[in-house]
Amino acid sequence: MVKKHFWFGILLLVGVLLLSACQDDTATTDDSSSGSSDEPVTLTFFSSDGVEKEFNDPVAQKITEETGVELELDYPVGGNDEAIPLMIASGDYPDLIFAKGDIGKLIDAGGVIKLDDLIEEKGDNLKAMYGDQLDRLRNSIDDPSIYTVGTYGVNNAYWETSGTFQIQLDVLRELGYPEINTLEDFEAAITEYYEKYPEIDGQKTIPLSLLGSDWRWLITVGNPAGFAAGLEDDGQWAVNDETGEATYKFLLPELKEYFKWLNGLNDKGLLDPESFTHTYDTYISKVSSGRVLSVADQDWDIADADKALVQDGKEERTYAPLPVTLTEDYQSKGLKDYGFAGGWGIAISSTSEHQEKAFEFLDWMASEEAQILTNWGIEGVNYDIVDGKRVMKEEDRQRMNNDADYGKETGVGFYVYPFPQWGTAAVDSNGQSITPDSEQDIIDNFNSAEKEVLAEYDMENWIDWFPPTEELGVSKHGSVANFTIPSDSDLQVIQQKADDLIQQRITEAILAKPASFDSVWDKMLSELKDMDIETANQAMTKMVKDKKELWGTN
Amino acid sequence: MSKQIHLGEGEPVVPAGGAPIGLDKKPNRKLKKKSFWKRVKSQKALILMALPFVIWLLVFKYIPIAGWVMAFQNYKPQNGFFNQEWVFLDHFKELFHEPMFYRALENTLGMGILGIVFGTLSAITFALLLNEMRFVWFKKMTQTISYLPHFVSWVIVANIVTTMLSQEGPINTLLMGMGIIDNPIGFMSNPDMFWGIVTVSDVWKETGWNAIIYFAAMAGVDPQLYEAAKVDGASRWRQMWHITLPSIRPVIIVLLILNIGNLINIGFEKQMLLGNNIVADKALVIDLYALNYGIGMFRYSFGTAIGIFKSVVSIVLILIANGFAKRVGEGRVF
Repeated sequence: MVKKHFWFGILLLVGVLLLSACQDDTATTDDSSSGSSDEPVTLTFFSSDGVEKEFNDPVAQKITEETGVELELDYPVGGNDEAIPLMIASGDYPDLIFAKGDIGKLIDAGGVIKLDDLIEEKGDNLKAMYGDQLDRLRNSIDDPSIYTVGTYGVNNAYWETSGTFQIQLDVLRELGYPEINTLEDFEAAITEYYEKYPEIDGQKTIPLSLLGSDWRWLITVGNPAGFAAGLEDDGQWAVNDETGEATYKFLLPELKEYFKWLNGLNDKGLLDPESFTHTYDTYISKVSSGRVLSVADQDWDIADADKALVQDGKEERTYAPLPVTLTEDYQSKGLKDYGFAGGWGIAISSTSEHQEKAFEFLDWMASEEAQILTNWGIEGVNYDIVDGKRVMKEEDRQRMNNDADYGKETGVGFYVYPFPQWGTAAVDSNGQSITPDSEQDIIDNFNSAEKEVLAEYDMENWIDWFPPTEELGVSKHGSVANFTIPSDSDLQVIQQKADDLIQQRITEAILAKPASFDSVWDKMLSELKDMDIETANQAMTKMVKDKKELWGTN
Repeated sequence: MSKQIHLGEGEPVVPAGGAPIGLDKKPNRKLKKKSFWKRVKSQKALILMALPFVIWLLVFKYIPIAGWVMAFQNYKPQNGFFNQEWVFLDHFKELFHEPMFYRALENTLGMGILGIVFGTLSAITFALLLNEMRFVWFKKMTQTISYLPHFVSWVIVANIVTTMLSQEGPINTLLMGMGIIDNPIGFMSNPDMFWGIVTVSDVWKETGWNAIIYFAAMAGVDPQLYEAAKVDGASRWRQMWHITLPSIRPVIIVLLILNIGNLINIGFEKQMLLGNNIVADKALVIDLYALNYGIGMFRYSFGTAIGIFKSVVSIVLILIANGFAKRVGEGRVF
């Protein structure tokens, strides 16, 4: 009998525990959905570019104070591409989603809501921010609704570019500050320096290193080829902005010319033989050691190496961007203004219980108050007002430029991208710049070696080398890189196949003996033809033309 | 000499010291019916114990097969289960017209076969050597150390391998230091070496782990056999060849059949992590292809079609292997 009672007691206990656990759960969900004014609402926010972080820094606390919203930040673990498809497969969406190029899949799956009415009713801040560029947020000509807001700055100034190549300052200094505008000039410069100094700090000098072992192939191998051919940055496409004609850019003879030159460079031993096999970490450690004379990379990709070089006191080993093109006949488009790009942005999920709150939050993020908070931080803590102007505190300014964890710790600048944001050229109601960046800041922040070399060239900023933004005009279609390609369309499948193919074949062609370069290239062209690349060209041309129509820029 | 190993269910249950239950001889209808329930009753405990696993099997292995209908539709998750557009064999047609798919199939089977051959050989050899070892502490230590790599993630192993084999890595430095080669070998940039590199790193990682089961089988060999062989004057080699290996033959065959069934399921971690653009032609495997061109592009139907194809190949392979084992009269799976 006693034994029976004992088991009954255990059963009862387990039952009670289970029940209470369930009750707890329901109680909390009830709380948050009622959204009482003093309890902040928690919105889950998935960002494809997110990093691991709690929403608890001073700026985040201020945001919660102003909006009553707390964010729960989620991000793709290990940079996986499947996060969005898996989200759709499970039907389990966060409240706010920044899906980048995968937004089309979410729209197809009905995972996100249309924002048109909300913007019309209560999107005053968003309307003020986007103004006549609001059309650029629209999805497509068939479905001209707005699903996303944000990502890129509205009204940008162009003070920085990474050019086609970046070259070590010491190379420029050693060679007596030459003009480097063509591939020929560039090759001559790195060759001469390499012959003089076959070793740097006891290690073998690497004249040019690329990173072609992962997705950065497109950044360090594919893109520079287009830049050298004077193309704008349209991803894997070459677009005629006037006619809307789009071509898969690796079909162009100019691109072949560039890769043929790279092939020659490899044959002469000027290209890092590990360019296509080393990992990103190895590449960065090579660049950080100061023995890589030039890279074909973007500033953001080599930022860690740049910081390491400055920390080691090797400022003369940091890099200057070069407006290199195939010949003098081509013009570098490094400072091209793409206009407000639209396309990508933050969407509100269809399953969210707080859609209105989420929208109010996004709208508030577009307000002047929010923009100043997210860009500058908290008055008296991160910046002071001196003579009616915002001035960043010296310590913050230093950390902002040199400490990779600054944004994560203080929240300053952390909540700007990919939310709706003003660009670098925008000013607030007092006529002051909304972002803390200004060209003068960039110039002030150059390291001592950069300043010295700039002075020798009689320039203030590296962009003085490049054809100015005004001369290049504003793009009428934005950039194909920001287009949302419909999922499961021929275009998407063909482009994926073509991208995979060119990465293999061009790598093969670069590393081939110069005599067999042409045959590898021709093989690639015929394989692309077999993939029906012409269909993709036509589909992309249609997309560009539709985009121009949607934006009213044709 | 060889013992039969039965992994399947349906073995008559023999209670201690009794005849098999339920082997009634007369197939009288009424009697048979009665005896069925009788049998159920007498095996109640066993059936109850097996039940959770049968349910598990149904829920996780059989019910999901309903998802296969996706392969015959243009599946869009937002349309629910019943409002899909039917395309029947279109996805399979597309798959079989795709040159990339055949390349992936070739690579998968190639690396799979190499993995089975060298994986099995190395594990058996290692287990044999370990079995002959006299110092117990050394034997145990070796065994523990040898199976540790099994627990290391492929991400880390791939990093170790690429670092070891890089142009300025230890292997090239060693070879050049010994004067065997003049210029560093680009191991990772030679497509012809890729299968080999994958196989060797797989062998390095899994030999110790795979050897455990062979080692356990060897421990079960009757010591009297060895004693008898010794009396007859058999050397250690002879004992290995004539006693140890034949004794574990059924285990080897069963494991081989199971491995052959899994030949096509070699995963994609190794190939994805060790591969690069130069060797991509040799590194593309079916799972990677399904990931990149299936679910990665939101093409659930296409991905499912690849999955079905894989299952069919697996079943065919396992039937062939099992039939072969049956013919040579060795231990088999079913």
